[in-house]
Amino acid sequence: MKIFQNNCVFISTLFFVFYLSSSLVFAQKKYASDPQFKVKIDFDRWHDVHELDDDMKRLEKTYPKFLKTIVIGKSYNGLPFMGTIINNPDTGPEMSKAAMYIEANVHGNEIQGGEVCLYTIWYLMENYGRIDKVTQLVDERVFYIFPTVNPDGRQYFLEGTGGGARSGQVPVDNDNDGLYDEDGPNDLNGNGVIEQIIKYVPGKGDYRKNVDDPRILERVKFGEKGDYILLGSEGIDDDGDGMVNEDGPGGYDPNRNYAADWQPNYIQNGAMDYPFQLPHSRAENEFWLAHPNIAGVQSYHNAGGMILRGPGAKWQGEYPGKDISVYDKLGKKGERILPFYRYMIIWKDLYTVHGGSIDWTNDGLGIISFSNELWSRRQYFTSSELQKQTGDPNSPISRQKSRYFFNDRLEFGDEFVDWHEFNHPQYGKVEMGGRWKKTMGRLPPRFMNEELCHRNMAFSLYQADQMPLMQAGEHSVKKLGGNVYRVWVDFINPKLAPTITAKAAENSVVQPDLLLLKGNVDVVSVSLVRDKKTQDYIKPVTKRIDQHDLKRIMIRNGHPGKTTRTFQYLVKGSGKITVIYDSVKGGKASTSFSL
Amino acid sequence: MSKTSASFFLRSSLRIFVLFLLGANLSGWANAQDYAKYQSYDEMTKSLKQMVKSGKKFAKLESIGKTLQGRNIWLVTLANPDGAALNDRPGLLAAANFEGDHLIGSQLSLEMIDYLLKNYSTDAEVKKTMDEHVYYFIPRMNPDGAEAMFAKIKTGKKTNAHKFDDDNDGRLDEDGPEDLNKDGYITVMRLKDANGRYMVDPKDARLMKKADPAQGETGVYKLYWEGVDNDGDGFIDEDPPGGTDLNRNFQHAYPYYKPDAGKYMVSEAESRALMDWVVAHRNVAAVLTFSESDNLIVPPNAKGKLSSDKSIDLFQFAGESNSEVRKVGMITAPRRFGRFGGMSMFRRSQQQQSGRSRIPRKPVTTVNKADLAYFTKISKKYREITGIKNQPPLRTPEGAFFQYGYFQYGVPSFSTPGWGLHEPAGKKEKTAGSMGSKEGVKAGSSAMRGRMMGAGRGVAKGNKRGMDAKLLKWMDREKINGFIDWQTFKHPTLGQVEIGGFIPYAVTNPPAGRIKELGEKHGKFAVYLSSLFPRIRIAKTEVENHGGGIFTVKAEIENSGFLPTALQHGVVSGSVKPTMVQLEVKPDQIISGNNKTNFFQSLAGSKNRQKYEWIIKGKTGAKIELKVVSQKAGSDKTVITLQ
Repeated sequence: MKIFQNNCVFISTLFFVFYLSSSLVFAQKKYASDPQFKVKIDFDRWHDVHELDDDMKRLEKTYPKFLKTIVIGKSYNGLPFMGTIINNPDTGPEMSKAAMYIEANVHGNEIQGGEVCLYTIWYLMENYGRIDKVTQLVDERVFYIFPTVNPDGRQYFLEGTGGGARSGQVPVDNDNDGLYDEDGPNDLNGNGVIEQIIKYVPGKGDYRKNVDDPRILERVKFGEKGDYILLGSEGIDDDGDGMVNEDGPGGYDPNRNYAADWQPNYIQNGAMDYPFQLPHSRAENEFWLAHPNIAGVQSYHNAGGMILRGPGAKWQGEYPGKDISVYDKLGKKGERILPFYRYMIIWKDLYTVHGGSIDWTNDGLGIISFSNELWSRRQYFTSSELQKQTGDPNSPISRQKSRYFFNDRLEFGDEFVDWHEFNHPQYGKVEMGGRWKKTMGRLPPRFMNEELCHRNMAFSLYQADQMPLMQAGEHSVKKLGGNVYRVWVDFINPKLAPTITAKAAENSVVQPDLLLLKGNVDVVSVSLVRDKKTQDYIKPVTKRIDQHDLKRIMIRNGHPGKTTRTFQYLVKGSGKITVIYDSVKGGKASTSFSL
Repeated sequence: MSKTSASFFLRSSLRIFVLFLLGANLSGWANAQDYAKYQSYDEMTKSLKQMVKSGKKFAKLESIGKTLQGRNIWLVTLANPDGAALNDRPGLLAAANFEGDHLIGSQLSLEMIDYLLKNYSTDAEVKKTMDEHVYYFIPRMNPDGAEAMFAKIKTGKKTNAHKFDDDNDGRLDEDGPEDLNKDGYITVMRLKDANGRYMVDPKDARLMKKADPAQGETGVYKLYWEGVDNDGDGFIDEDPPGGTDLNRNFQHAYPYYKPDAGKYMVSEAESRALMDWVVAHRNVAAVLTFSESDNLIVPPNAKGKLSSDKSIDLFQFAGESNSEVRKVGMITAPRRFGRFGGMSMFRRSQQQQSGRSRIPRKPVTTVNKADLAYFTKISKKYREITGIKNQPPLRTPEGAFFQYGYFQYGVPSFSTPGWGLHEPAGKKEKTAGSMGSKEGVKAGSSAMRGRMMGAGRGVAKGNKRGMDAKLLKWMDREKINGFIDWQTFKHPTLGQVEIGGFIPYAVTNPPAGRIKELGEKHGKFAVYLSSLFPRIRIAKTEVENHGGGIFTVKAEIENSGFLPTALQHGVVSGSVKPTMVQLEVKPDQIISGNNKTNFFQSLAGSKNRQKYEWIIKGKTGAKIELKVVSQKAGSDKTVITLQ
C-alpha cells in the first residue's frame, strides 16, 4: 500500500516533471553535461585584443550583477586598456573590500597571461554558487583583471611575425638617425615568420642540411664542403641607409617604466625618460592610486616557470623580515600548485630589473605582488621517466631533438616552417625557412594552455584568499571601581597577509589603520594585551599606546596576518560604546556593546 | 611604418596655445616698463605678454602646461626666426622658481629676456647669438607656490598646491601654520623648557644653537614653527597646505618617499610638463636654472662633487620638532614573558642578505672628470660677470632639475640662486668647499618643509659660526629687514612663548632693488654661455676621380664651437645622440671606406675635426649630398659633384 502510494507520488511527479520539461525542450535542449556553462570560451588558442575585449563584454552581459568592464586609458595606437571588475554589490561596495589586481601581457609577446585572465573571470562566474570556495572568494573580495596592458604589442605579435613585439608601439628612434620606426622587419612572403634565407651552391657553400633531419642547417667544418650559403634573415633596407631592420616599431621595455628604483637608460635599457611616461604605465598607476583597497597584485609574464617577487635590484635591499615570511608562505604554496615553477627573487635568481611594475606596487603602494613567468619547457615531457630521457643525448627526445619530436608527434608539424623555395627580389632563387613559429617556445602548446590557465589562476586565487580580512572578535567589560571600566576588544585577521606590510609602513605609503572608539566616555588609556588567557594570572604590564587622540588611534604598521590582537581600553563613563577597526586594505570591522 | 615622436608628445601636452604677436616695432623697446620688483602671477603674465608683443618676431609666448590651480607655466622662446629652424639650433633653457619661495629667478629671467631683446640691434654678440641659437625661458615653474609670497600671511612655502598627507595620518593638509602674533609672517616659536635641546647663542642673542653637553652646555629651549596643533596629535604645523617641492621631484638622486618629494618622480603637473617639453626639444644644449642649489658660484670640486649645503639652523631646529611624526603609531606586541623579559629579546633578525652576484651598475653621481674643466671655466666666468662670490642659504639638491639636466639629459647644466651675500672687499674667494655626506634627508622629518633649506646637516657645531650668523651679519650690514626679534606671546596650549626669527622670502631672495643690476649681469652670462655652444660644420670636401666611374670622396667635419658636441657624461649615459654623417648614395654604390651612414659619439670643440672617406661607383658629374646632423650642435649639408 505504502509502496503503491509512493510509486503513485513518484509517477505523478515524474509525469509532472516530464510535462514541464517537455514544454521546455523546444526552447532549450536538456543536457546532462557537467557542469553546464553559460558562456563558451575556448582556451586552447590565442585571442587577439578584439576577441579578448569582446569576450569580457560577453561575460559582463551574462553576469551583469558581478561584472563591469572598464577602460582605463588608450594605447599609442588607440586600443583601449580594457579590464573587468568583479564585485558582488550585495556584500558591500568595492572600496570596503580587499581587491586583487591581475594584469598580463605588459610585454607584447608574452600573451598567454591574457588567456589566464580571461579564464579567471570566466571560471569565477561560471562556478559562483556551484563551488563554495568560489562563492566565498567572490563575496569577500574584489578583482580587477586586465588581460592585456599592452594591446598594441599583443596585436603586433598576433598580426605580425612576433619579432620585436616585447615593446609597445610608442615610436623610438633606435638607430639615432632622427627617424622613428622607419626600418622594421619585412615578412616578404607573408607567412608570419621571419625566415632564414639560404642559397643552394653545390659544393661551394659553408652550410649543409643535417643528414638525419634536413630541417637543421649546420655549418661545415673547416676544409669540408657544403652546399649552401646563408644570406641572412628575411628583410629589406626600408630607409636605404645601408642597414637592414635596424629600427622597428617601439624599442623600449614596457616593464621598466614604473617608479620604484627607476633608472635612466644607461643603467636600465628601455626605461624611457621618466617613470609613467608611457600610456600603459601611466593608466595603471592612476588606477592603482585611485584604488587603495588593492592588497594583492599578480603580473603574468612568460616564460620559464617562475613565481617571482622583488626586489628587482640588489641595491634596494632585501624586504623586511615580516614581509619575507608572508611572501615565502605564499610562494612555497605556489610551487605545489604549479609544478615545474620555482619561487624566486627577481634580482637574485633571474636578473636585475629597475623600474619594474611589481617593485612599484610593493615598495610604492604597499601591495603584496607576484609575477609569474608562465610556462616551463620542462612541461613538454612531464613524467620523471621522460625527463630522464631528455637528459640522454642519444635519446630521440634528447634536449636538442625534443622540440622537433614534440612538434612532429604532438603538434603534427604545426610549429616549424620547413625550407621552401622563394624568388627573392635581391638574391634570385633561394630557399627560405628553417625557423620556429612565434607560438613555439615561450608559449605552451595550445592544447596545454587550459591547464596553465587553471593552475595559475588557482595560485592567484590563493593569494587573493590570503589578503587581510579584519574581523571583530570577543569583547569583555570589567568594572574597576567607580565608573572606570576595563574593556577588552579583540580584532582578528585570519589571513596570511597583514593589513599594512612592513615595507609600506617604512615608506609611509599606506594610510595607517585606525582604531576608533565611539561613545560618551573618556578614554584614560589604551594598551595592547599580549595574551588575554594568561593576563589575569601573570599580570604583565600591558603595552601602552602613547598617542594624543585615544579615540582615534593610528596603527601605522597595521595588523599582522593570522593574529588576534586584544586591545585594552580604560574608560570612564557609561552607556553604549562602539569600537571600530578601519583599514584600507583589510576592510572595516566593528563591535558595539554597553558598559 | 614611420611615425614621428613629436606627435606623441604633442598629444600628451594637450593645451599648448601660442601667442605669437606681431606689431609693435622693436625700437619702442627701450621704453619698456620696469620689471624690477617681485611680481605676482598676474603681474608677471602681463609683463611677459607686453615683452613678447614688443619683441615682434623675435619672441613667442606659449604655455607648456597648467598647474592644479589653473595657472599657466609660461615658456618664452627668443630667437631671430630667419635662418635655421629653431629646433635645429643649439638652445639654452633657462628655468626658474622651482621652489615656491625663490622668486628672484623669475625676475632675473624677465630681465634677461629684456636684455636680449633690447640689445639685439646694438650689441653684436647679442645679435649673433639670437641669429644662430635659440633661448627658452620658463620664468615661473611653480606659479601656485609662488603666489604665497603675495598672500597676506607669508609662510615661505616651497611646495606646489598638490595636497599631500605629510604625516600620513589619513587627513590631508590639516595642520598648517598660524600667524599668532599677527605680524604677517610665519616665523619660529621658542619655549622655555628643561627638556629642550637648544640654547641662546652666546655670541648673538637673536640666534639659537644646539646645546652641546660635551661643552657643559644645557638645553633650555624647545623650538617650534609658529602655529597651533590643529589636529591635536601633539605636533605643530606638521601637515601644512600642499604639496610637492618641484626641485625634489626629478629623476636624479630622487629622495624616495620623503614627504615633500611627491609620491614618485615627475608626479606633478609642473614637472611632467617640463619633462615632456625637454624630451621633445633635444636641441637644448645647456640648462641654466635658478634655484636654491648652486654649482656656478662654487663649481664642483676636483672629484666632481657639488659644494655642501648652506642651510639655516633655526629652520632645521624648528623642523626637528616634527621629525618623529611619521613614527607615531608603530605598534609592537608586548613581549612574551611580560615583566621578566624573554627569548624574544634575543631573536635573530629574519633578514638575510642574499648572494653577492650580479651587482648592478650604479648611476653616476659626480661630474665626469672629462667634463669638469668646462664647469670650472664657466663657473669662473659666472663669478667674473655677476660679481657673486658668496653663496646665500642653500640646500642639497636631491631630485633637482639641474641635476637631471647633466646626469640624465647629458648637457652642461647649472643652478645658481641668482644672488649672493656681499662680503667686504678683500675676503677670500670660496673654492669647492667641504663636501656634504651622501646621506639623504632622514625619512619622516617633514613639517613646514616649505621652510627647511636642507636636511639635518650643515648645522653649525660647537663654536663654529654657521649660515645663521653670516646671514644676520649681512642683513645688518645691508640694512635688510630680514629678522624679527623675539617677542613674548601667550600661546593657547604652550603658555608663554617667544616668537621671532628669520623672515620668509628674505632668506631666499635679495632685496628687489638689486633685480635690475643682477638681471643685466645674468643676461650677459646667458650670452656668454650660448657663445660656447658646439657648432658642427662640413669644413672640407674633396673628390678624386680614379676613372672607370670610381671616385674617392673625402670629407672633414669640424666643431667650430667651444663645447664638445656631447659631454663625456652625455656619451656615457647615452642621452646625447651621436652625430650622424651620411652620404646620400645607394648603399651598394659604396665599394670601400666608410658606411653610407656613420655616427661619432662626440667631437671636441675649438675646431677639432673628424675625417671620412668613401670609395664609390658613380657617374661623372653626378651630384651627391653630404649631411651632418648633430643633436646639440646644429646640422650642415653640402653637395659634392663627382668630377
